[in-house]
Amino acid sequence: MAANAGNKIRNAKLVLLGDVGAGKSSLVLRFVKGQFVEFQESTIGAAFFSQTLAVNDETVKFEIWDTAGQERYHSLAPMYYRGAAAAIVVYDITNPASFTRAKKWVQELQAQGNPSTVVALAGNKADLLETRKVQIEEAKTYAQENRLFFMETSAKTAINVNDIFYEIAKRLLQGQPAQNPQAGMVLTQRPNERLVSASSCCS
Amino acid sequence: MFSTQIRDVDDFNPRRRRTLWNTPAASMLTTTTHTIRYPTSRKGHASAHQLSAKFEDLYGFMVEGNVDDVNVLNDVREKIREQGRVWWAVEASKGANWYLQPRISSNGGEGVISVTSLKLSVLTNTITLRRLIRKGVPPVLRPKVWLSVSGAAKKRSTVPETYYDELIRATEGKTTPATLQIDHDLPRTFPCHPWLNSEDGQAALRRVLVGYSFRDSEVGYCQGLNYVAALLLLVMKTEEDAFWMLAVLLENVLVNDCYTDNLSGCHVEQRVFKDLLAKKCPRIAAHLEAMGFDVSLVATEWFLCLFSKTLPSETTLRVWDVLFNEGAKVLFHVALAIFKMREEDLLRIQHIGDVIDILQTTAHHLYDPDEFLTFAFDKIGSMTTNTITKERKKQETVVMAELDQRIRRLSSLKMDG
Repeated sequence: MAANAGNKIRNAKLVLLGDVGAGKSSLVLRFVKGQFVEFQESTIGAAFFSQTLAVNDETVKFEIWDTAGQERYHSLAPMYYRGAAAAIVVYDITNPASFTRAKKWVQELQAQGNPSTVVALAGNKADLLETRKVQIEEAKTYAQENRLFFMETSAKTAINVNDIFYEIAKRLLQGQPAQNPQAGMVLTQRPNERLVSASSCCS
Repeated sequence: MFSTQIRDVDDFNPRRRRTLWNTPAASMLTTTTHTIRYPTSRKGHASAHQLSAKFEDLYGFMVEGNVDDVNVLNDVREKIREQGRVWWAVEASKGANWYLQPRISSNGGEGVISVTSLKLSVLTNTITLRRLIRKGVPPVLRPKVWLSVSGAAKKRSTVPETYYDELIRATEGKTTPATLQIDHDLPRTFPCHPWLNSEDGQAALRRVLVGYSFRDSEVGYCQGLNYVAALLLLVMKTEEDAFWMLAVLLENVLVNDCYTDNLSGCHVEQRVFKDLLAKKCPRIAAHLEAMGFDVSLVATEWFLCLFSKTLPSETTLRVWDVLFNEGAKVLFHVALAIFKMREEDLLRIQHIGDVIDILQTTAHHLYDPDEFLTFAFDKIGSMTTNTITKERKKQETVVMAELDQRIRRLSSLKMDG
């Protein structure tokens, strides 16, 4: 994860969307702090975090918006996904309603968001295999049809959590010219910044 | 009269009247549930400042802070004692419970006291009370003072005494979308607070929230209310009082529809806030706009949780003292002040993440309520409720059109799909 001084840092706005209790905040907490807590304070509005990730010789600094899941908060969502370079739509593999909700988010992003936004679908709580209700094949097919990349994750056991962010970072670096500010990627040169540092403001 | 509405603890119903939790004896004042992080400017200081200690505050929260924070908290605790003495002195001259009757009706004085002198005494009391409340209500008096000045006591007096118990009984065993969401949020509401994390605490919080969701099915339950109700329980000490404070807050104190359906009231407040920021802090507003930073990104939570997740607890409660006495405009004062006090730093910042960081770090460290509230009122300048009401009316139309448009767009998507 070490990065050279003078390395270019790309700021990328990333938004997490999904049903209440799908584990959005837990995914972020696992990625940013490497922690998991059973009862994460409920998110109101949205919480902001940032985390830097090195991919080969480039670095992506994620500015992460972790949004509130309750239905009535959805009217606030455009504020958070506007200009986002990436989105992770999260559902809970033990809860089919959350998968339905995830599809609606995908639809909204496709219609309202930026067409170049990298969208990932995360089937979270993958550690709870015995109570699985959403089959992996079903989600995979849906993701393929909608050109999303898909992973099952577990914030609890850390499975695929770093991987999903890493994959997003990779795709951002591959897919988008840095000069395109419309896509939410801003090229900044901050050689003295301490890399792979995390800061978070879980409000 | 008011005195009969403030119920006695020796009443027959234990659940309704019982004191829910006890103030920790060795209390340290002011709190936050957040891990304290040092402002950037202090990073280079000597290690003594970095030593952090954990302690329980007046409201039972575990607080982690450094030496400076502990010192500020001790000063605040002393100031609260002083402020308590001021309240006792006023009570000695005006009589017990004088603050419960700021609006005396004229019929009591007929023939004895002239209407003019009576009005004058009412006016004097109102002014005295306003001044005292701005300087802080002593924690022990908060339940009585809040119930009275907010109108919660009056609201309760319009329904039978058994209202709350019957409401709770009617909700027992019922499952609604609201109760499901409440159950999901109970263990996620200030999980660091020992009482709120206990079975008793969560049961009390559940009854208040579920009860309210049945009282107003349009609001039902909105995330954010869990934090507000939790803090109300800690202050009011009995759940019925907390319930009535929640009711008066949602029905009378705050703007309509803050927590309903699509949070339209919240959208309105955010627009009013943006407008006020442009007027009161034009340089900050222009700078943030140029950066593409929407202030609602950070302020939405402030307004929905009434700063309970943002400010240290005693500072939050000092804001609420004014909120219940003077109305929702105090929320604008406080939000503007958080921006304004870091004006120079904000103007230098170029990254969205840094803006959020600086605002949140600042807010989490506002341990001295006196200093902060003085700033919020003196430096922000006056705003009349009238002006704000007018501005809200204007924004309401825009918000409704916007929300409408979004719903139409989304439903057309569903048809296509």
